[in-house]
Amino acid sequence: MSQKLDYASVDDETLVKAAQKSDMEAFEELVARHRDKIYARAFSMMRNEEEAVDLSQEAWVKSWQRLNQFQGEASFVTWMTRITINLCLDQLRRQKRFRAESIEHLEEESGGVERQMPVVTPNPTEGLERGELRRRIDEALARLTYEHRTVLVLHEFEELEYKEIAKRMGCSIGTVMSRLFYARRRMAALMAGWKREHDQ
Amino acid sequence: MIDQNTALKLQAYVDGELPSGDVRQAAELLEKDPEAKLLFEELKASKSLLAGNELELQVPESREFYWSKIAREIARQESRPARESAGVRAWWLRLVAPAGAVAVLALVVSIALKSTSLPVRSWVALSDEHEIDTPLEETSSITFRSEAAGMTVVWVNSQPN
Repeated sequence: MSQKLDYASVDDETLVKAAQKSDMEAFEELVARHRDKIYARAFSMMRNEEEAVDLSQEAWVKSWQRLNQFQGEASFVTWMTRITINLCLDQLRRQKRFRAESIEHLEEESGGVERQMPVVTPNPTEGLERGELRRRIDEALARLTYEHRTVLVLHEFEELEYKEIAKRMGCSIGTVMSRLFYARRRMAALMAGWKREHDQ
Repeated sequence: MIDQNTALKLQAYVDGELPSGDVRQAAELLEKDPEAKLLFEELKASKSLLAGNELELQVPESREFYWSKIAREIARQESRPARESAGVRAWWLRLVAPAGAVAVLALVVSIALKSTSLPVRSWVALSDEHEIDTPLEETSSITFRSEAAGMTVVWVNSQPN
């Protein structure tokens, strides 16, 4: 007779194997464990609470349907995050929130704020405690365009290479590099601005 | 001012994505150009600033409520293929059943007519392939045959005179 799993105490791998055999309780435990991370990723890309909840739930439904495709090359949560990212990218494309590359390129080439901006030399985050730092970073991310924020999220948080980001976003590697550069400069400028306000 | 191409190369250097052939060139530039060095340091600081500093968020719904929506959607999607195939079956049955009934009826009537010898008939030849047969004794039925279409249709008056 097979013994019932103690879902809360087993590792992800065991839960995934059980879920692959249609064990819904095992899948529910996986959702409970990782729902915050998956929601946070959706929110970082969409910047909208309701959309982030809906998309993260859609990602869980998709993952249940594709669970047998998961071979364990990466961790379960990494695999889940990739599904979420793809859904968010699809949604952003559907809503045409990504601007045409040509317009964006023109803005960057003609010298937007970021290009003219002086290099930020002192560390603008010095003296900030971690919670405050994270909150500032999040606020700065919220002020970026969707294109710039998405590249930054995929590169810095998901640690994807330029090539992989280009593939997922459907643009050239050059565009990824350019977006990443301007996103970073804008982040640095925003952080430095807050630092100046704080010091005054 | 550093041109865009150089700036992007410096960034690729920070990210460890600069082709090996360009690495030496970038290192030399950093040594002799203070502006390039400053930009490089800023890009490096931005990179390390973000790493590991993503805001930790929580789903703004209870565990049970969040899961219930997922479970419901999974159940709905899993029942859909079964419903869809049942729908297709019903559609085929609606289409095929009447046609089948007509075919069986036609077959039965044509067999019955072949086995019955009818002494006198009236024939109407429509063309080489079609004819209408009206047995005089049974004026309550009319038979239409088409050789070309391989079809026989019999009209039977259920209330003969």
